[in-house]
Amino acid sequence: MKVSYFETARYLAPRNLPREWPVPPEAYDREAGAQAYQGMINRLRCAEELGFDWVSVSEHHYSPQRLTPAPIVAASHLAAYSQTIKIAVLGPIVSQRNPVQVAEDLAMLDNLAPGRLVVGLLRGITGEYLTYGLNPAEARERTTEGMELVLKAWTEPQPFGWQGRHFQFRTVSVWPRPLQQPHPPTYALGTSRESCEFAARHHLGLGVSYAPFEVISKATRYYREQCARYDWQPTPGQIIYRANILLAETDQEAEELLQKQRSGQPPFPLRAGVRDALLTLDSRNVAGEARVPNVGGILPTNFCGGPDTVVDQIKRCRTEVGAGVIDLMFQNPSAGNLSFLTRSLELFGKKVLPRIRGL
Amino acid sequence: MGKPTVVQSEDRSTPGGAFSEGYVEADGFRIRYMEAGHGPPLVHLHGARGLRLTPTHDLLSRQFRVVAFEMPGFGQSPENRRTRNMADLASTMAQAVNNLGIDTFNLMGTSFGARTALWLALQQPESVLALVLEAPAAIRPENAQPPSGSPDEIPSQRLYAHPERFSSGPAPDPAIWAKTGPLVMRLRGPNRDADLEHRLRNLTTPTLVLFGTVDGVIPPEMGHLYKEVMPNCHLVFVYDAGHAISTERPEAFTEVVVDFLERHEAFIISRTETVIHP
Repeated sequence: MKVSYFETARYLAPRNLPREWPVPPEAYDREAGAQAYQGMINRLRCAEELGFDWVSVSEHHYSPQRLTPAPIVAASHLAAYSQTIKIAVLGPIVSQRNPVQVAEDLAMLDNLAPGRLVVGLLRGITGEYLTYGLNPAEARERTTEGMELVLKAWTEPQPFGWQGRHFQFRTVSVWPRPLQQPHPPTYALGTSRESCEFAARHHLGLGVSYAPFEVISKATRYYREQCARYDWQPTPGQIIYRANILLAETDQEAEELLQKQRSGQPPFPLRAGVRDALLTLDSRNVAGEARVPNVGGILPTNFCGGPDTVVDQIKRCRTEVGAGVIDLMFQNPSAGNLSFLTRSLELFGKKVLPRIRGL
Repeated sequence: MGKPTVVQSEDRSTPGGAFSEGYVEADGFRIRYMEAGHGPPLVHLHGARGLRLTPTHDLLSRQFRVVAFEMPGFGQSPENRRTRNMADLASTMAQAVNNLGIDTFNLMGTSFGARTALWLALQQPESVLALVLEAPAAIRPENAQPPSGSPDEIPSQRLYAHPERFSSGPAPDPAIWAKTGPLVMRLRGPNRDADLEHRLRNLTTPTLVLFGTVDGVIPPEMGHLYKEVMPNCHLVFVYDAGHAISTERPEAFTEVVVDFLERHEAFIISRTETVIHP
């Protein structure tokens, strides 16, 4: 089992923020921002020292909840401050970006952090479509086409044109080429039938997130079935499970913190009218079974307890989900102070990591 | 550019409504062709399945005088035992074009017909203004096996990215392939033809090679080889199309082909306007 530490550049607001997305930029505190980005490097070093295999970043916009709207910028910063840990960009929201630029940026990063880049490509959660004015009805098709173009841009030896449905380029000829050949380890991120099929067809890994094991395992099972259809078999390392973890010294402490956290509100909800409209416009599925999009709701905590319990849960995850990589978002229930986060990170490195290595 | 032609039929299911049939003598063959449109001539040579008009023919005929031939031995024409190789067929087709009074023209070849088109351009480089090769079969993977049966037996998922969107049409007449098969097998040539590829190195005709991203007959990975061999070649991938690009994505195919035929290598300069509110 490989373990990835999901870093979001935690921002501790010095004063109360408006509880709504988008959060007005005037509320941004420069000093707090500087600390958030410094903390990112501190935790990176801690994770690398503790033996985490990867550090990951994601793309989210217009709020302090994840201060990485430009994940490739964040990733290159992380790469510059580390030596061995893999840098996982999970990932650029392909639906709302120029795929050729995504291919270029990632290829450059693969050379800057030689052999350390891992890539996840995704459609983005529903609320993200508001960032650059993307029509939700087009998001899936743009993602599929964009991902295909990224792969082509990495692998074609000669300049080519792209006559797409959503993208058109007369000449694409990416320099530098990725260092890892044919391209960095790449995952399609998502639980949908379409993501699984895309990943299987292109021999990519699959990255799934947050839903409970029994839901997620439907997607990973479907993915493996599709891979079999294309005559190949993914390794466990080709399945990433991104999950929330609340790790404390004891089960009881973790359970108390979880209760405290549950009573909270979602941090930056969308206005009800926007949320409701998005719910009707976006369609999501797990391996073909329709599911309600998560528009600003609280995500479940998938691993919770003291070290022994968490080790057992991770073992179950390995068996049930088939994931060979867990990408962990360490929960920080005590807002306003990051010491709990650092403590759980260290606790994980010392008491959990050595016991799940051999899984 | 000639005045635009009114296209009578834009119905996808029955393309080619504005085309009229004609015959021309060449090399002792009586060769059928379908023609529509005004403007610079655009000659089309079909694939191994024979002449089939597609929505792309309709779209192209808005800006070009499109002449789509049925090469001798294909379709309803008598069996052709005379043509020995692709160069022969190309020379016959060059004569047919010439006998229509066309001196210079754009030349488009599909799959098998792309190989004919390349030979024709090699024989008469001064007549061919530009070449368009749709899913060309002139360079195939070294280990590729010839199709065991008729091209009509190729499963539709190899021709189309979305076979469910296309009706299979009337069952093909096996008598046609019984007659055409030996001709295709005789003319298709080796997967890698060193002689042809050597000659292509000196062919400076502006050339556009198109492959569907999910071509299940000829791998789109063959595309870059044309660029490596030919000095003035451009490669374009048509996303979400199989082998039959012009049937599956006629607008996308036509747009880039017309742009290329009008501007040749300058077609890489965008003319797309992005002003939303002036």
